[in-house]
This record gives sequence, structure tokens and C-alpha cells, in this order.
Amino acid sequence: MRAESMTCDERFTTAVRLGKPDRVPVVPTLQAEGAAGYTGLSMAAVAGDNQMVVKTMFEVFDDCGGWDNPYPCAATPLQLQVTGSHPMLVRIPGRDLADDEPFQLEEREILRLEDYDTICEIGFEKFFFDDYLWRITDITPDLLPTELAEAVSGLARFAAGCSQRGVTPYFLGAASHPFFTLSLTRSMTPFTQDLYYRPELVERALERMTADLIERQLPLIRSSGVDRWLFTEERASGFFYPPTVFERFWWPYTRRVVEACWSEGIVTIFHLDQCWDRNLKYFRDLPAGSAILEFDGLTDMRRARELLGGHLCIKGDVPATLLAIGTPEEVSAYCRSLIDDVGRDGGFILGTGCCVPPNVRPENFRAMIQTAKSHELA
Amino acid sequence: MRHAVREFPLSPRFVEGGSMSSVLSQAIVELEPQRVATLVGERLEAGHDPLQVLAECRQGMAIVGERFQSGEYFLSELLLSAEIFKDAVRILEPYLAKSGPPEPAGAVVLATLKGDIHDLGKNILATLLRAHGFVVHDLGVNVPPAVVVDKVRETRPDLVGFSALITTAFESMREAAGLLEQAGLRDGVKLMVGGGVTTPAVKQFVGADFQSTDASAGVAYCLSVVGGQASHAC
Ligand code: B12
Repeated sequence: MRAESMTCDERFTTAVRLGKPDRVPVVPTLQAEGAAGYTGLSMAAVAGDNQMVVKTMFEVFDDCGGWDNPYPCAATPLQLQVTGSHPMLVRIPGRDLADDEPFQLEEREILRLEDYDTICEIGFEKFFFDDYLWRITDITPDLLPTELAEAVSGLARFAAGCSQRGVTPYFLGAASHPFFTLSLTRSMTPFTQDLYYRPELVERALERMTADLIERQLPLIRSSGVDRWLFTEERASGFFYPPTVFERFWWPYTRRVVEACWSEGIVTIFHLDQCWDRNLKYFRDLPAGSAILEFDGLTDMRRARELLGGHLCIKGDVPATLLAIGTPEEVSAYCRSLIDDVGRDGGFILGTGCCVPPNVRPENFRAMIQTAKSHELA
Repeated sequence: MRHAVREFPLSPRFVEGGSMSSVLSQAIVELEPQRVATLVGERLEAGHDPLQVLAECRQGMAIVGERFQSGEYFLSELLLSAEIFKDAVRILEPYLAKSGPPEPAGAVVLATLKGDIHDLGKNILATLLRAHGFVVHDLGVNVPPAVVVDKVRETRPDLVGFSALITTAFESMREAAGLLEQAGLRDGVKLMVGGGVTTPAVKQFVGADFQSTDASAGVAYCLSVVGGQASHAC
């Protein structure tokens, strides 16, 4: 087998700039639940303590001999809720659920129609901390500063763990798309009714939220020291909505955000769950090299390469289901075929299809990492 | 959205080629909630047969389903039509109770099993099945496998469907399938699994008869199992 000839950073940067690295970079989305599943810890053990989350994630990282860029993993479900990352009701293992069950989010119509006006007036962030959060959380306001501080220090601990190992975090700044935030907080059905029956209300909120996002997010990314950030959307693709909705309520805002970032050299990592086959062509309008598109196993990766190869970096997509119930041989075959088909000219990062599942078979996960490291060097 | 002009009287129009479309069906297809509610109310007040009104609503849903299958409509439109249909049925229910409910196309037990509390997908499937004339016993979320067995024993459905959005629910699905088998109930039902994380491999893992991530394909399967175009038959 040939030896690697690039550092993790060189390899990653080459792929993002659409080149062909010495071997494919591999960046799995390993979160607390997947890490606990791999190491045999209970879900409750990582649900109440973010030091444990960081420690467990790096345990897996070290056990596999590392990979290219660790995916931030430093928060408990409660912290994900109070930071607005999962703006929903949450059930926590060890507290509301059995110790061995992964945390669960409950989607309900929490955001009310009249809240759209409030968002337009004061912005989503202020609305979230003044009002919305207290509709979903069961912590008391006096505990909020501690939880927020813990979330920040968890991330710092994660970043320190990365530098100890000589690797760079995949990103540090992250935000959900305003469209996605509204879909989760309003819940999918009422939000869809708003899109069709009260479109101006949604549009005004999206305007305000997009402007705020750019204003708030850019300085944060700059100060994070990593010149890319994660932008999540799981509810806007052609699996859910027709092009008319996509073109009016998603694409223009998205483009604005990406272009604002790119004007400062910041790359947007799109986390795109569900099937985006019908939406791929729009991404051709983004500046070359300005984004990475992460897919979750439901988008046709080969089609994505056909339409976007040489223009934007593509990442994905070993399915959670395969990692949970497949065999190492199946995982390895899946990875080899992705590397050969999608990654043959570069511009490709091997990743998991969304998260490593809580019931991952450790040998499957190892097969994925090992295949990435050895297939092209063999 | 097209806002059709109000037309009276509201007798159904039958279009050659099998596809019946009344003003009411059309209002469902055009996704107009207020108009559907008004039309249903007016028809009932005018003494029309509630079964006929229901049939027209179902017809609208069938057309939405066809458009979804052909790629003209999207999940959002399926979702909106399902909400409109649910509201129409709410208005119709007291009238249907008096006149006697229609002959069901079949019965389905649905559940999101233990370890999973996602219900958006299951709820869409339930409404679409009801719109196609099925009786749906929806057991809700986080359902212990044993509860499924009890319900199947009690109601003897044609089909059982499990919905999942997290992979940890696969074990519960397999357990439920095993319990049905042990209870001697498995052969009497077709077993479906669906939801964003399911794949053909999951179908095999669970030992199910059908798998899909498309509620409308699930309806088509249920119809094929009970052997009919139920939406036209109620
Ligand atoms: C939106 C989304 C979220 C949202 C909100 C989800 C919610 N309401 O709780 C947010 C961002 C909050 C979220 C969070 C998380 N998510 Co999430 N999420 C999704 C996503 C992209 C779409 C889900 C959705 O809204 N679907 C809409 C409904 C309508 O679709 P549906 O349920 O599939 O139903 C349709 C069909 O499947 C069908 N159908 C449904 N049931 C049935 C049944 C039968 C019998 C039939 C025939 C048909 C049928 O009918 C529907 C209409 O056609 C999925 C991706 C996916 N592949 O589905 C991931 C996904 C479910 N999430 C995933 C994960 C990992 C998570 C997190 C754990 C991530 C994290 N570490 O923080 C958390 C926690 C989730 C939890 N336990 O609650 C994984 C789960 C994998 C696993 N490990 O088990 C998925 C599959 C993504 C992936 N590929 O890895 N998520």
C-alpha cells in the first residue's frame, strides 16, 4: 500500500477546492448517540454531561486511528435545545426515557401565527430567548446562563481535543436555515399551510431571519478560526415541496447567505437531509467552490456528481441503516463504490448519511473509516 | 391557487374515462380548505346523502393521490389535502353516524413502535388510508410490541403498518413481527414498514411483506391487498 502524502488539512482543502487528494478525506457525523453506541455506553450516560460527550467521541476517534476532520460533538440534548439547535420539546434518556433509548424530539405546533409578526419586529433570536424557549424547555431561567456557558465550554473542549490530535474541526459555527427553523417550530403541517395560504407572513419572517443570520453568523465564523460553517436544511427539498415553493421561499434566501459568506472566503457546508434529486440543479448557480453539499443516503450521489462535479464539493452518504444492520463487507463495498464513482476526479468527501446511529455496529463504522484510508492507496 | 367560482346546484359530474370529478372533489384537488368546508356544509344542509358527499371527498383525495404518483403533486400537497379531508370528515361525522357508516375497504393497524415518537409520516398514512375507505386503528407512538398483538387479536385487520424515523425502532419492529408470529396472527395480516430510515434491508430484517418511504405507495399496496379500488366503492 502506498503511504499517505498529504496532511488531513491539505487533503480536506484539496477536496473542497475540487481537486483530487492523495486519498478521499473521511468525515463521519459522529454525535453523542453514535459514540455511546460504539463504545457500549448507555444513552443516559451521554445525555446529561457534555464532557462525557466529547470524551466518548474522541475515544471512538482514537480507537479507529483517527479520521480527517472531527465533526463537532459537544452538547447534551438539553444544550441542543437551549441553544436553539433543536428548538423543540425534548425527551431525555435517564430522565424521561429509559437509559438505553436515544433522546427524542417532539414536534408540535409551538410557534403560533401571531409570532411571525414578533419575529419580524424583534428578530428570531430575541424572540427565542425572551419567549419561545420557555414554551419548550423545563429548565428555569436562572439555569440558562449555566447551560449556555457549558455549551460554549464543551465546544472549546472539543476544539482542544482536535488540536491535541493535530486535526482541524470540520467546522465550529453552525446554524439552521430560517425555513427549516420555521418548519420545526411551527411544525410541518401548519408551516406548510402557512406557505400555501399565508405566504406573505412567511416571506416577511424569512427576510428578517436571513438578514439577522448573515449579520450574526459572519462574525462568529470569523472568530471561530475555521473558515467554513454548517448550514442545515432538512425540510425544503423536492421530497417535501414543489419547485414553486422552493424557488420562492428557499433558494433566494439561501443564495444570499452563501454569497455573503463567500465574499469573505467562507465556505458553506450544507447539511441536506432527505432526497434533493429534484433540487440539485439550482446549486449550479452558486460560485464554484463556495459550498460543500452533505447528503444523507437519500439523494442520488451519482446524479449529484454529474450535475455538480467540478463545481461544488460533494459529501456523503453511508446510510445510518446500513451502519446499523449491514455487515462490514457491505459497508466497505458501499464506500468503495462511492469513492470510485463519485470521488474519482476529486471534489468528494466520504461521510455518513446524516448521523452515525445509536445502534451502529462498531465493526461497520471501522470498515467505513478503514476503506476510506486504504482503498485508493492499495 | 385557483379559486373556482361557486356553482349550484352541486351534483357530481361524471367524466368519461372513469375519473369522476364534482365541484367538491375539485375543491379538494385545488387544496381549498374553506371552500371544501362550505360546500360540505351546504350539501348536508340541502339534505344530500352524506355517503355521497363523503364519496366525492374521497374522489378528490384519489385524484390528489394520482397527481402525487405522477410527480405533479408533492408531499406538501398530499399533506394539505389530508388536512382538508380530515376537516370535511369532522363536519360529516354526525350525519354519517345517523345514516350508518360506509362499508370499509379494509382495516389497518398502524403504530410507531417503542423507542420512537415520530408520528408525522404515520399520521399522513393514516389519513390517506381513511380517505381511501380503510378503518385505521392508530395506536400512536412509542407503542410496546405486545400492544400491537393485542390490537391485532381484537380487530383482525387486513394489514399492520409500522412507521419509523430512527434505526433503534428496527428491533421493536422485529420483536412485534415475532410476537405476531408466536400468537399465530402473522399469517392473517400483511405487514408493512415505512418511514425515512427504512430500506428493503429493513423489510428483510423485520420479516415484513412491504416497505416504502412513500405513504401513497403504502395506500396502493393496502388497496392491492384488499383487492380493490376502494376509493370508488364507498
Ligand atoms: C427533519 C429531521 C429532523 C428534525 C426534526 C425531526 C422530528 N420531528 O423529530 C431535527 C433536526 C430536529 C432532527 C433531529 C434529529 N435527527 Co433527524 N431527521 C429529519 C429528516 C431529515 C426528515 C424527517 C421528517 O421530517 N420526515 C417527514 C415525514 C413526513 O416523513 P416520513 O416519516 O419518512 O414519512 C413519509 C414516508 O416515509 C411514509 N411513511 C411513514 N411511515 C410509514 C409507514 C408505512 C407502513 C408506509 C407504507 C409509509 C410510511 O409516509 C410519509 C409521507 O410519504 C430525517 C431523514 C429521513 N431519512 O427521514 C432525519 C433522521 C430521522 N434524523 C436522524 C437523526 C440521527 C437525528 C438526531 C438524532 C440527530 C442528532 N444527533 O441530533 C436528532 C434527534 C432525532 C430524534 N430522536 O428525535 C436520522 C435517524 C437515523 C437514526 N440514527 O436512527 C435520520 C434518518 C437522518 C439520517 N439519515 O441519519 N431530525
